[in-house]
Amino acid sequence: MSISRRKFLGWVGAAGLSTTIGKPAAAATGKHFTGYPNSFAILHDTTLCVGCRTCEAACNKVNDLPPPDKPFTDLSVLEARRRTTTKAFTVVNKYDNPKDPKSPVFYKKQCNHCLEPACASACFVRAFKKTKTGAVTYDSSVCVGCRYCIIACPFEIPTFEYDQVLTPRIRKCTMCYPRVIEGLLPGCVEACPMEALSFGKREDMMTIAQERFRRYPNRYVNHIYGEHEMGGTSWLYISGTPFKELGMREDLGDTPAPQLTAGALSSVPMIVGLWPVLLAGIYAVSKRKEKIAQSEQKQALTSALDKESPDESDIKEES
Amino acid sequence: MVKGKSYLIGAGISVTIIILLIGFVGVFDVTAQPKTPVDTQSIQFRPDIVFFDNMEAFGKLEKTKAIFLHDQHTDVLEKKNKDCLACHKTENGRMSPKFMRLKDVGREELTKIYCDNCTKCHTEMIAAGEKAGPVKCDDCHMERPLIQSSRVPMGFDKSLHYRHYRAQKNKCDRCHHEYDKKSQKLFYAKGKEGTCRYCHKEQTEKDGTEKVISMRFASHLACIDCHQKTRAKHMDAGPLRCAGCHDAKEQLKIEKVKNVPRLKRGQPDNVIIKTGDKKGHIARMNQVPFSHKSHEEYNDTCRVCHLASLESCATCHPLVGSNKVSKNGTDIPLKNAFHKRGHQSSCIGCHESKQQDKSCAGCHAFMSKTRQQESTACLRCHMVPLPEKTGVLSTSRAAKMARLMPQLWKETFAPIYKVNVPKTVVLKDLVDQYEAVEYPHRKVFDAMVKKLDGSKLAQYFHYDETTLCLGCHHNTPAGDKPPRCGICHDKPFNENNLLRPGIMGSFHQQCIGCHQKMGIEKYTGCTSCHKERKKQS
Repeated sequence: MSISRRKFLGWVGAAGLSTTIGKPAAAATGKHFTGYPNSFAILHDTTLCVGCRTCEAACNKVNDLPPPDKPFTDLSVLEARRRTTTKAFTVVNKYDNPKDPKSPVFYKKQCNHCLEPACASACFVRAFKKTKTGAVTYDSSVCVGCRYCIIACPFEIPTFEYDQVLTPRIRKCTMCYPRVIEGLLPGCVEACPMEALSFGKREDMMTIAQERFRRYPNRYVNHIYGEHEMGGTSWLYISGTPFKELGMREDLGDTPAPQLTAGALSSVPMIVGLWPVLLAGIYAVSKRKEKIAQSEQKQALTSALDKESPDESDIKEES
Repeated sequence: MVKGKSYLIGAGISVTIIILLIGFVGVFDVTAQPKTPVDTQSIQFRPDIVFFDNMEAFGKLEKTKAIFLHDQHTDVLEKKNKDCLACHKTENGRMSPKFMRLKDVGREELTKIYCDNCTKCHTEMIAAGEKAGPVKCDDCHMERPLIQSSRVPMGFDKSLHYRHYRAQKNKCDRCHHEYDKKSQKLFYAKGKEGTCRYCHKEQTEKDGTEKVISMRFASHLACIDCHQKTRAKHMDAGPLRCAGCHDAKEQLKIEKVKNVPRLKRGQPDNVIIKTGDKKGHIARMNQVPFSHKSHEEYNDTCRVCHLASLESCATCHPLVGSNKVSKNGTDIPLKNAFHKRGHQSSCIGCHESKQQDKSCAGCHAFMSKTRQQESTACLRCHMVPLPEKTGVLSTSRAAKMARLMPQLWKETFAPIYKVNVPKTVVLKDLVDQYEAVEYPHRKVFDAMVKKLDGSKLAQYFHYDETTLCLGCHHNTPAGDKPPRCGICHDKPFNENNLLRPGIMGSFHQQCIGCHQKMGIEKYTGCTSCHKERKKQS
């Protein structure tokens, strides 16, 4: 059979149209998830942090991580900007304080444990799970090592064990899930001498933050980072300097990551289901058209031949 | 029919392809050229830039504001033995700060005065083979000028006022004046002197039929004229160039008189601030005796407190005000005006700003701004009048004051701190990691007492011998034996008391926080307080 160019383009146009007829994208995800009730959160008050790295040491200890290159008492590492690694789930970075150059600001970086995690939505084997404690946990037994989570995370947190040839894992802060379900405090929170980290119900952490704003009106930027960022996170931050100056992204918006991809992903089943039917239908219609045209031609031919020479009516047509 | 449909589809697809092409390939790329970035390094800052912003009164400007470097012109004219009159006209023996005119004129005429006179002089100089300013429009009206203003505002402080007062041989009428509407003349009213800014506002204002010229115009008219005339008599006088007053560095060079004698304007030494009156406003608090004399010493100008006039506070701020906020703040009730936070003119605002001082911030930075102060703190200002003794029968204002003040002053500015403070306190909370800490309790207390020296304000408010203790031992009854910290501060993250830190947090927040705020850098890192644990053998 032959398809004319015009016909083909017509089909493409029709197929393109069909994708736009689908349901509105947002409806596909259902409601925005605002966290499990009574789930935990950690509030980091950067105005209290003194950059002692005790949290880093505690994290290393409770997670049985290999010893660092430089000891945790060495504060010179704060001079360089660091990222989380497979051997350090949390790092403290030092930033200049424009208000008071003598007392720099310290910001502790680790997995923010989003209420609707981008890593979990990107993972097609469901290795990540938002637990009821608030922690986003990772199950290495199902992980296939695609590293989509690393790309999906807006905070650049998950790391991959490139040096492990046979059993590489994704490594990140667990919000001390095993400790929390036992009723213990997360390692970093327990160790923090300044109580710059507070642990408790997310609602309570918000209350603490707001109460501190109220009591010390000139000390803080009136914003809780993590209240709405990426749909909300289980790590919350308050600071005296704008978050942007602490290298924290302020361009993330309030939309949770899964909602951003849900629109496109929700149309996948529709396309997968609808297109074969559509294309098959178009094919069938065109096939039928051709058949009808052929039979009409044949009829016309036979009738014409009948008129001219009725004797040759038994000529068979080759097809 | 079929053919027509196919054409339609074809057309639709071609349109889509063209749109895609525009989007991706940028066939019709019409985005604006990126603006050439201004190199901030090459920008020059000068204090003498004059913008001809009086053109703005006529609506939208046709061109950008021209930039005029005043001191540069003054210098060039001086070299040519020309004086200010080359550009400024005089009226009644006084030089006008306006350029080549005395009165304000219309838009076109004003433009003509500027453009013609500037270019005329510049052209003449160029013709004579000299270096001169621009003659083309865009060279004055620059889109992105490379010179920016570093002008700082100028004002009289007590020292500068005194120097003028001395130089003018105590003749206040040389500067201070009032305006008589009937005769339309300025006259001097003795005892009514005030800050220039009470009448001369930022912009020239119309008061009825008469114009009150702006502070900027008035000061340049009066100051420069007097400086010029004094110099003409070969006497010492203030600056004539812009930089002399408006350059930050030059301002520092202005001579300061250390012990400025008190201004004589009939102001009281002590005042009693009313809290109620006989008209029915019941006084809920005691009256406040206020030492006007000592507060004069702490401030550089009268207008720090007296925002709109030198009258008594109650002239503008009524005892009971309406809730409306008027433009000049005169509806703000007296009590709100005095207790307003964050305002330098209010009692609380100014006193709280002193708490940010390094010596004070160690304790005060951590005190909640929402907590209700104890009633004893209120009573520091709202003093309980002394009991009337037999023999002193008079209850007149002055007599009350006389009775009240000296005793209070004597008591409050000489507090004796005789608290039984332990020499050291041993803290064993972290003995599993470090050696126990020997906290030098008395040393810290003595250092705090020493900080009070030289500050009457601090001594006045830390009146009780245990007030200083409350910096750390907060929420506890003042006394010799405060409860142990751990009684309240035990485990952290108590759901019933979210904001109360645990024992480790409270110690570290208190110690490190105070040291940071007071700028004590001796203690950094864990081991400066906690000695390393001795290895047990």
